[in-house]
Amino acid sequence: MQLTDIEPGTVGPCPVAPDALQGIKRQQTNPARWNGPNWAAFSAALRSQGIEVRETAAARAAFATDAGGTAYGLAHGVVIARSTEQVALLLKCAQTHRVPVTVSGGGLTTEGESVAFGGVLLDMTGMSRVLAIDAAALTVRTEAGIFWHSLAEELRRQNLDYLSAPLNLTSSVGGTLGVGGIDVNSARLGCSADQALALQVVTPTGDIVECSDTENAELFQRVILGYGQFGVITEATLRVRPYTPLRMHYFYYASLRTAIEDLQLLDRNEASDYSGILTIMDCAVNVLVAFDSLGRETAFIADWRPRLRGYGELGFGLRTLAHYLLRPWKLGEAWYLLQRKRELFPELQRPEYMRDGTMFDRSVVFSRAVWKFWGSRQMVIPDLATSAEKFVEAVERGNAVCRKYFPHYTLYLVGIKLRPEHRAHYEMSCVPPDAEGWAYGCEFEPMMDAGVYSRDTLQSFKNEIYDIGVDMGASYYRFGGMMKGYIRRVFGDAMVDRHLEMKRKADPAMILNRHVIF
Amino acid sequence: MLGPDRNTQARPRNFASCSGCNLCLLVCPVWRRTHDFALTPHGRAKALQHGAAAADLAESIQGCTLCGACEPVCPEEIPLIAMTLDLRRQMPQPAAVQELRTRMEAQAGHEPSPRSGPVRALLPGPALRGRPDTMERAVALLGGTGSIRLADDDGADIALALEAGSTIASRRMEQFLRPLRALKQMVIAEGLLLRHLRPLLPGAALISLGEALSRLDAVRGALRAGDLYVIEPRAYHGDYQRLVRHYDALRAASGCAFNLDLQRIAVPATARSLPQRLGLETIDDGVQLRWIMQGRKVTRIVVEGVEDHAAFEGISALPVVHLADLADDGAS
Repeated sequence: MQLTDIEPGTVGPCPVAPDALQGIKRQQTNPARWNGPNWAAFSAALRSQGIEVRETAAARAAFATDAGGTAYGLAHGVVIARSTEQVALLLKCAQTHRVPVTVSGGGLTTEGESVAFGGVLLDMTGMSRVLAIDAAALTVRTEAGIFWHSLAEELRRQNLDYLSAPLNLTSSVGGTLGVGGIDVNSARLGCSADQALALQVVTPTGDIVECSDTENAELFQRVILGYGQFGVITEATLRVRPYTPLRMHYFYYASLRTAIEDLQLLDRNEASDYSGILTIMDCAVNVLVAFDSLGRETAFIADWRPRLRGYGELGFGLRTLAHYLLRPWKLGEAWYLLQRKRELFPELQRPEYMRDGTMFDRSVVFSRAVWKFWGSRQMVIPDLATSAEKFVEAVERGNAVCRKYFPHYTLYLVGIKLRPEHRAHYEMSCVPPDAEGWAYGCEFEPMMDAGVYSRDTLQSFKNEIYDIGVDMGASYYRFGGMMKGYIRRVFGDAMVDRHLEMKRKADPAMILNRHVIF
Repeated sequence: MLGPDRNTQARPRNFASCSGCNLCLLVCPVWRRTHDFALTPHGRAKALQHGAAAADLAESIQGCTLCGACEPVCPEEIPLIAMTLDLRRQMPQPAAVQELRTRMEAQAGHEPSPRSGPVRALLPGPALRGRPDTMERAVALLGGTGSIRLADDDGADIALALEAGSTIASRRMEQFLRPLRALKQMVIAEGLLLRHLRPLLPGAALISLGEALSRLDAVRGALRAGDLYVIEPRAYHGDYQRLVRHYDALRAASGCAFNLDLQRIAVPATARSLPQRLGLETIDDGVQLRWIMQGRKVTRIVVEGVEDHAAFEGISALPVVHLADLADDGAS
């Protein structure tokens, strides 16, 4: 298949042909590099206004890829965001000179969304101050480049905590609000983006606008879950809560279907404060539930624990032993499970984070484990987001794809409570349009260090997962960057064209994060 | 597939292994002060992965405070301190370091006179030697001169050369190590020197002054719930897996607060870049000290490091007590 060059500001034909055979290798959709017309005039204009532009190879190389490690690009220059006014000046200048601006927070995208293929890279982590904490109103106002962990550190000094944030603590607040943000309490509290009360946004034309559900609501709706298309979030007001340590419980399953059914049972009945599923392939499926208080935990043990079909650690160990004794040809898989358990379990129960049976700083424990046991220089994490009803089928079909491609992988599944009043926020996002009450997401992450894989193989894997989504009418968390070829197939021409029209109006030169969606 | 997975395979541990998690930024004092990605371990790693040379990263390499906070949080277990020092070795040396090397070579000509006595020694370093009363109390707490002796040569020049990434003449190193080889235990105040000496003196127990004192009943008993206990970060991070348990037990026993963040990493009170250590740049500990104190309700500050003592006295009206002086502190 031949890919044609696409002019900025247009959405070309879908590069994933509808009649393509599922699973065949397809070319990656890495964009061509912007070749730099007007760069000299642009950078000179920035400097004349006191904005530092770093153009050394070392400065640019530091941002050459994202956490996915499969998309590579070099900006012409890097600017560290230092103030809202500076960001506004930069965007005004970029519109004038038609220079692409790629915004990076934690740089934890996996599809090259925060990689600059030419133009200027705006590093938002330079704006990382907490501006005000209102302990009485339970809100915080913060600059949006801050990492969630840094925010947690400041909140904890006042015995407060954020409501929900990605398990990965080095996601930035602004980046997360732009895409969603899923936590193990999202089934109860919604996604991280739902916790935002108000934002300060710099529009693509450089205007500084405060927005919320009641003030400039249309901009608020587009920026939240907007994948950075309609503005740069420079400040955010978020809801917070009193800090509580966690009371953790783990249940082990050998069946994805049973585990998902039990997870959804708990979510529907708000039986726990935290819930999610983490697996070692489909062999050890761990439903984790946790509680903020002894009262909630006690109620769960009395009312819901007996209804769960999962095993305790010992019971599951014995069951697994019997399973593999009868299947000696699967000894390698059994050995892998054992090794994984021996390494992972102690990390989740480090004594310095446990006191009186409760887990302090769950986010630290999980975030460190995420990187230690699932991180690597290359990561692909295709995902599927569906309604509750479609979820089991989507996960089972995705799991079969993982089995086909990789010897070892992990699935991470979690529910997201939807807020009816935020329906407008969810348009053209990871929240599938047919989801009511809850949406469910599953990430399919291969363990890359077990082998060496070409980028085409990885792209084929992602495509095959995403084909399931197209087939089932699902959505995705990571539909931008290298996966944007799916956007028209998932959301339909009418919605994509409507958003494209809004984008053109908001960003006439189509400079802001131009390779992410449009 | 039968075989080890990624965490048990022998993998190279260097900047090429950096997966870009940013966890090092969360604990980096340079990051806290500058919010400049290029000045962090992650920034250096990514630049090196994509073709930068040490000379391109001069500001970042010299700006590192070597507090070691990044090492325990690195999921790839990259020896970041050793690698930063290696990068420093590839850089042109400042004039002050050249002079230091000349002095070391001159000192290497003097043979130390043999000494008999206790098989334990305290290497106090210049900062503690600058507070003789505190040093005497430390010696007394550790058993007195009959049990532990003050090392004649505590390798202050070697510590500074290590800091600068300067090569150390083998004659000078041997001169320093020879008397230490006869010892069973060494209490070392300077955390970077402690880290460097551990593999060179495998037959002896080497611990930090902070750990040695905080294991004593007289000191532990003097700690109280309103105290903010400031751990010296270099020694702590250099032996993190063991010491995180030690200080957690101390917290549980005493109820005092620590300069630990949510990852249980010590927030350095006095984080100094190489130019600052060499007196080439002015020192400003304000950002770190304010962050340590922010939102804390404490009545006394207890420090392991002498430099921290002076820094806290400069910004706080609270009593500041060195660990060695704690048992004698009238307020306790």
